[in-house]
Formats: sequence, C-alpha cells, structure tokens
Amino acid sequence: MDLIFSIGLLLGSIYLFFLVGAESPAASATELGASFWPRIILVLLMILVVVNIINYIKTAKAEGNSLVEGVDMIGFFKSKLFIGIIIVFAMALLLPYIGFIPSCFLFLMAYGMLLGDHKIPLAVIRSIILTLIIYAIFQGALDIMLARGTGVFRDFALFFEGILPF
Amino acid sequence: MFDLLATGLSIVLNPMTFLMLAGGTILGVIFGAMPGVSASMAVALALPFAYSMKPVISIAFLVSVYCASITGGGITAILFKIPGTPSSAPTTFDGYPMAQRGEAGKALGFSLIASAFGGMVAAFAMALISPQLATVALKFGPSELFAVSFLGLSVLSCLDSDHIVKTLISGLLGLLLACVGMDPMLGIARFTWGNSTLLSGIEMIPVMIGLFAITEVLKQTVKPKKIDAEKDSSSGNGQMGSVVPKFSEIWATKFTMIRASIIGTVVGILPGAGATIASFLSYAIEKKVSKHPEKLGTGIADGIVASEAANNAATGGSMVPLLSLGIPGGNAAAIMMTALVIQGVQIGPMLVKTQPEYLASVFGSMIVTNIIMVIVALGVAKVFAQILAVPYSILGPVICIFATIGAYALNNNTGDVMLMAGAGIIGYLFVKLGYNSAALVLGLVLGSMCESNFRRAYTLTNGSLYQIFTKPITAVIMVACIIMLVYPFIKPLIKGKKTA
Repeated sequence: MDLIFSIGLLLGSIYLFFLVGAESPAASATELGASFWPRIILVLLMILVVVNIINYIKTAKAEGNSLVEGVDMIGFFKSKLFIGIIIVFAMALLLPYIGFIPSCFLFLMAYGMLLGDHKIPLAVIRSIILTLIIYAIFQGALDIMLARGTGVFRDFALFFEGILPF
Repeated sequence: MFDLLATGLSIVLNPMTFLMLAGGTILGVIFGAMPGVSASMAVALALPFAYSMKPVISIAFLVSVYCASITGGGITAILFKIPGTPSSAPTTFDGYPMAQRGEAGKALGFSLIASAFGGMVAAFAMALISPQLATVALKFGPSELFAVSFLGLSVLSCLDSDHIVKTLISGLLGLLLACVGMDPMLGIARFTWGNSTLLSGIEMIPVMIGLFAITEVLKQTVKPKKIDAEKDSSSGNGQMGSVVPKFSEIWATKFTMIRASIIGTVVGILPGAGATIASFLSYAIEKKVSKHPEKLGTGIADGIVASEAANNAATGGSMVPLLSLGIPGGNAAAIMMTALVIQGVQIGPMLVKTQPEYLASVFGSMIVTNIIMVIVALGVAKVFAQILAVPYSILGPVICIFATIGAYALNNNTGDVMLMAGAGIIGYLFVKLGYNSAALVLGLVLGSMCESNFRRAYTLTNGSLYQIFTKPITAVIMVACIIMLVYPFIKPLIKGKKTA
C-alpha cells in the first residue's frame, strides 16, 4: 500500500511540477514568480518520495515480503471502514440538499448502527433527541448558521428556526 | 512599567468589570470546549455583548473570552482528539493517549495549570516590558518573519523521529496544499483547474478537523478502543477525583512550563506568527531538551504542558502588536480590533501614549482571567470528561456532527464539509502508512507565511539572497533551523562514533 501511495505521489508531483510552470508567468530579477515556491516544494517532495520508495523496497527485500504486501482491496470494500467512509461522504454530499436536521438524524442513526447500536427504535429516538439538542445549541443559542437545504427541506428548516425560543 | 500593571488591576478589579470578566471566562471556556467553535468564532459570538459595554471594559471582556477559549480548545483536544484551535494540535499528541489510558482528568489538570501559568507569564511580561517588546517586534521584517516560519517548519524533523522521511513528506504535502489558490504576491491562480472555489485556497480548519477528529472516529470504527473517564480516580467511582495533579507532579514540569511560557510570549509578539507556531515550536524544543524524548507522544505531562503553556502565552504576546502597532496577529485579534475601532479607539503606536488604559486593561484582564479560568475550566472539564463514559456508538457520530458544524460554520460552505471528509480519509491513510498528520497541518499553517515573506524579502532586497540571509536576526534563526533540521540525521552518526 505504501508503495502504491508513494508512486501515486511521485507521479502527481511530476504532473504538478509541469502544471504550475505552464500556468505562471516567468520570474523577473526582483520577483521570484508564482511557480518558484511550489516547484521547490515539489522537487523536495519528489526526492523524498524516491528515498521512501527505495527504503520500502530495501525493507521488503530484507524481510522477504512481496512489494504489494498488505493490499486487500476486496477486504477493504467489505470492511466497516469503507462503510464508515461512505456514510461520512454521503452526509457531506446530502447536507446542501436536505439540510442539517435530516442529515444529522440520518447520520447519527447510520453511524450509530455501524458502531454496534442495533436496537433500532431506541436508536431512532436517541438520534431525534440528539439532533434537536445539537440544533438548539448551535442554531439557537449560539446563532451559528446551519445548512438549510433546498425546496421542501429549506421550508422545514425555516419552520424550525421560527419556533426556536432564542 | 508597574504603573501600567497597577492601572490594569484597578480597572479589572472594579466589581462590574470583574463580573464581566468572570462571564467572559465562562463563555470562553464553554465556547472553546465545544468542538467546532474556534477561538475567533468565540470572540465573534461574544462581540454583540461587547458593543454595549464601555470600550475599556469591552476589550477586557473580549480578552477574557479569547484567553479562555484557547484553554477550552485544549479540553476537546485531550478528550476527543479534536483541537479546538490549530494551536491545540500538539496537545493531542500526549493529551489524547493519557485520556485513552484513563487519565483524562489528570491530563486536563496539567493543561489548565500550564495554560494559566503561560497566560500569567505573558501578561506580566507584557505589563513590564511591552514597549521594549513592541520595538523588538518592529525589527522583524519579511526576511526575519520568513526565518521564524522556517523555524516552525524545522520542527518537522523531530515530530516523529522513527519516520523522519515520511514526516518530511507529510510536511511538504501541507506546504503544497497551502499553495492552492491565488498566489500571495501576484494573484495568479495555482492548482485551481479553473475552479473558482479553490481560488481562496484550502481552509486549514476543515483539514485539521478532518485529520484529527474524523480520522479518530474511523480508527475507532475499525478497532474500537474503550476510553475510560477516569481510571485512576482516588474516589474509584468514575468521578474525576484526580483532575488536579499532585503538587509534586506539577513541580516536575516546572522547567518545561517556564521554557514553554517564554517561547510562547516571544513568538506571540511577532506579527503574523502566533500561537500555532509557538505550541509546535515549544513541543519540538521539549523533544530536543527532554531527558526522555522517546516518551513524548506516548502520553506524558511534559508534552501537554509544553503545548498549552506556549499557546496561552502566545495569546498574551499577540496583544502587543495588536495594541501597540495596530497589527492583528490572527483572526481573533482582528475581530477585537474591529470592536475597538467601532467604539472609537485609535489602535496603533499612539495608543500607549494617548490611551494607556486600554493596554493596562488588557494586561489586568489577562492576569485575572487566568486565575478565574482555572476554577471555571476545572468545572467545565469535569462535565466534559463525563462525556467519555458515553458509549462510542453515540459519542463517535456526535463527534462527527460537531466536526461537520465546525467545518461548515467557517464560511457557511458545504464544500468545506467535503474537504473535512476528504482530510479524514487521508488522515486514516496517513495513520496506516506511518505518515504524520500534525506535520501536514504545520505545513498548511506555515506555508503561506513562509512563501509570502520570502518573496517579499526577495523583492525588497532587489533579488539578493545574500542580503536576506545575512541580516543578523535572520542569520541566527536560520542557523538554529539548520541545526534542528540536520540534528536528527547526524545524531545516529555521533552516537555511532561515541560507541566506537
């Protein structure tokens, strides 16, 4: 996995090195130009990534391991980690459309179940109560704007904002 | 000099002002302890209250909120691995492992005492030698500020001595992320691929929240680990009986506390530097001078003390450029400046001469706040530590929600929530592969400061690198940087020679 990550980093660094050069105008005698700093970083990054790859290969050879040791893509897609990532991203993607209240409730439910909370009725009640408490604290007491969503979800959020006692 | 201190104390010990300070401290600690509410957000939330106060009282009130919120940020860093502010990030290195071992109360106790000590040292230093410090701060031009930010970056080599190459790669990735958006000198778009959202750059707060909080929740999802509220409580009933460390334990950290407070104060007065560099630098120096550097990062008091004393001392230090030079060191200072300007206070070099009561009020407020803060924060910490007793199937998702609010509330932008989620996954990958998330945060924090100051210095010296690096302050700091960067590589060679 480390090897794949390092090769990806190396290829990405090479691409960005040429990209930033093409995007920026040339430097002058008293101005280093927009590409100077990123290119220094990228050169250092490429050197260190190569060192890391060499270190990895040396260690793998010394220990008699395969170069792609520890890569289990099928296992990853079946893992709790993958589901957790999907839930986090689903919430981030849904937030602008359905707003904070529904996405918070759904997230608390889904992630709670992933972490072993299997009593569904209790999880539903708990998620509703927690959503309302968090909403009242941040949107109400602290006056921190939370995502309202669009369409009917926006109307729903505005309704809640209207009934907040703060 | 002592007149300033006496005036400050007479202002803040007025019953009405004292009450305001106590209220500000309570608000600050609670805001700071809430994951997602940063120090600047806490000051912004307290601003409406300040408008109705007299200008002198309002600055004292806002300072109390600011100082207390930085301390409050340490509470969540220890308990949930969510640093309330970037400056609390090094607190997670030792604070969170202590909490996982069931010593949350003790870790919080060290954090609060160190914060109060750091704040007090900074306040006294400011009261006694602020004019001199302001003069020194003025000597820091772009080349010196580049050297200071580079000094902060040199910390990278000692963040994780077992994976130096990977830590440096992580730091460079952070520096590269800081390049995304408009170039600071010419305004040219870099790495934006025509996307207008990326023009404003990568926000640090969502990345930090993702790398620390979301990564931790993902880790717990894969391999759940029970966190006890307080295992070593003398009462044995799960209460935080040992929230205050023993005097002998505090005494054992005295040199760390003093060192960190001095570093924090000095770094804090530098315009544009601030608490984050102070806390990282202090932690790194602690790793260099500690008798047991290998224990730092495994959950020892010295690590918490080094970070918390420095970041609180830096908040005090940052008040000097704000009030005497009119340069806000960070977002919170900028908000305070706005509040004062609206009330007709003329901030800048003339303030000390024409309206010294404002400076006095800040110093007095810092001293009193740091005393009240220990009592208030202990109470808040006790309540927060009980949260650790909540099952992780409830706590984990709630932490994610707080993290989401923190990322979203920054700019009311759901793109920042996506950024946070992405950072969380990268953080998990970093943990699995032995890279360093803190190094990435450090690179992201310092990247822009480092680049803009270096390029400014280059332009000011008409392109002469010799002139940049031979300025006395710059040269001294750069030599220190080189020693710090090279030392981890030559240390094994020196040891090898000695044993041979």
